[in-house]
Amino acid sequence: MPTGFGWWFKTQYQKSQWEAMEYRGREYQQIIYEKLSERIVRITFNRPERRNALNDQMYNEFQAGLHQANDDPQVRVVIIRGAGPCFGSGHELSSPKGEESPPVHPGLNPTLVDYYGFERRRCGKQDDAQQYPKILISQVHGYCLGASEEIAAISDIVIASEDATFGVRGFTRLPFGISNWPGFWPAESNKYWGGQLSPEVRGRQAEEMGTITKAVKKEELEAEVLKWANALAQLPIEVIAIYKEWLYGTMDILGMGTSYRKHYGEHHTLQYVRFRPEEVNLYKEKKDSSLKGFIKKRHESATIQDKGKTHREE
Amino acid sequence: MGNYKSIIYEIKDNIGWVTLNRPEKLNAINDEMLRELDDMFVLAEQDLDVKVLVIKGAGRAFSSGQDLSGVGTDEVLPPSPHSKLSSKAVLEAARRRSRRWEYIFNVCKPTIAQVHGHCLGAGMYLALSCDLTIASEDALFGDPSLRMGILPDFPLLSWLVGVKRASAMLLSGKPLTAKEAERCGLINKAVRNDQLDAEVSRLVKGLSLLHSDALAVAKDSLNVAMEARGVGAAWRYTSDMELLMQRRTIQSDDFDFEEMRDKLGLKDAIQARDNPFKDLDR
Repeated sequence: MPTGFGWWFKTQYQKSQWEAMEYRGREYQQIIYEKLSERIVRITFNRPERRNALNDQMYNEFQAGLHQANDDPQVRVVIIRGAGPCFGSGHELSSPKGEESPPVHPGLNPTLVDYYGFERRRCGKQDDAQQYPKILISQVHGYCLGASEEIAAISDIVIASEDATFGVRGFTRLPFGISNWPGFWPAESNKYWGGQLSPEVRGRQAEEMGTITKAVKKEELEAEVLKWANALAQLPIEVIAIYKEWLYGTMDILGMGTSYRKHYGEHHTLQYVRFRPEEVNLYKEKKDSSLKGFIKKRHESATIQDKGKTHREE
Repeated sequence: MGNYKSIIYEIKDNIGWVTLNRPEKLNAINDEMLRELDDMFVLAEQDLDVKVLVIKGAGRAFSSGQDLSGVGTDEVLPPSPHSKLSSKAVLEAARRRSRRWEYIFNVCKPTIAQVHGHCLGAGMYLALSCDLTIASEDALFGDPSLRMGILPDFPLLSWLVGVKRASAMLLSGKPLTAKEAERCGLINKAVRNDQLDAEVSRLVKGLSLLHSDALAVAKDSLNVAMEARGVGAAWRYTSDMELLMQRRTIQSDDFDFEEMRDKLGLKDAIQARDNPFKDLDR
């Protein structure tokens, strides 16, 4: 890794990460980019055989897709969804050593500032996408875990099927989770914080907590999303951009920027965890018994509600 | 009390009763009503005989929101993007609008909104600026401002119900029922239609028995906590963003509310405004 704060230490003069990801001349391989109508684009994560686990290529294509939709002057709404069994299972934990998707491989042995810059760039992707000037709607079915959950969390509208499962395994969420953070939390502290700490939240429960917009029956999911997309695509493009700038500006007043930084720090801190012999360590297990072995061990050791299912995520 | 036309202000048993009184217009808020409310709040704040204020609406609704007729509405509505007013003039008016809600939010007496029927736009800002909001089950809370390209001059929504719900309400303009509003903490309580008067009377009677200094101090300590969460900065930030919204360019395929109103009349313009969203409305 390079020394110093690393690539793209963002300043106000710098492009956001989706804007820096070029779409011209790119052939999408792991996402599907569709123009559903003049004003609506749909991006589908398309690695169903890997439960849409996010590796660098798919994340980059996703960001390039956002860039492309932003450059299209007619587009007002971007729908995000996953192909196959679920929306997404989070970071691809079998990514090769140099990839940004999972936590830094200990073998890279980064300096502290290198690692901080890396986290800042890696988690900053969500931060940048949250500032996207058009409406993002996440269409969530099945598992929506870890980094995939973060993508839903930064969307303006989240419509989920009742069977959707939000959660993180083995790590903390971005502080705002898939969330109404930083709302006036005492109003619903038990429901909200309790929900944050529990490993998994289903679609209906997430709606009650206010962390998603709406939960619907599985067979109604797509129609409901299109209903929202069509209606919101009627709003003038500048109205959308200024509204979002205003809303996320108030979130900054509430401390969102700081909480992102805290999240970089959390990743950073956990990188230096010393595992006890009986504890489950991703990189050690991967070396000793493969990714499947790690997931099996984690499954056995953690409080997981769904027996017999395994996933890749953060 | 007072020589008011658009509101009624009465004091009884240390309780100030304020009634929005344009029932034929569903208590749409125009400049005259704003002036009278401004005047009333100043009087009530200084009046030692008033310990609690209750705000309600005459007729079928609490308030349908800003008066959109364009007549006598220079204060309550932001100028159209077509207007050539100076930035200074637009910003001053925007600041008065958001600071008005801030002032009502911080009035030194407890305030209760008694809500029935429509409670939309500025009507909702008024109801939510009160300390307590009690509604009957027929009440609807919503804000269709963005459909007309108006930035809501009320940032409190994210603080009250969180960012996801705020975005769903504001982007879609879809109103919440009283029960939904109660469930997500937007209001304090939803009661049966025939129990609203009795519920508010009970509540306000109880509050009026407390010492007025204690009420003022308790309210202030709660609002200090909100201030510490950045609400103070948000009012100001909102008026700046409102100026930006006013400076936007209306594209040829954008819905232009004022043009529609002048062409079709108010009722049809509102229908045209709401039509694309009717799938989302119940």
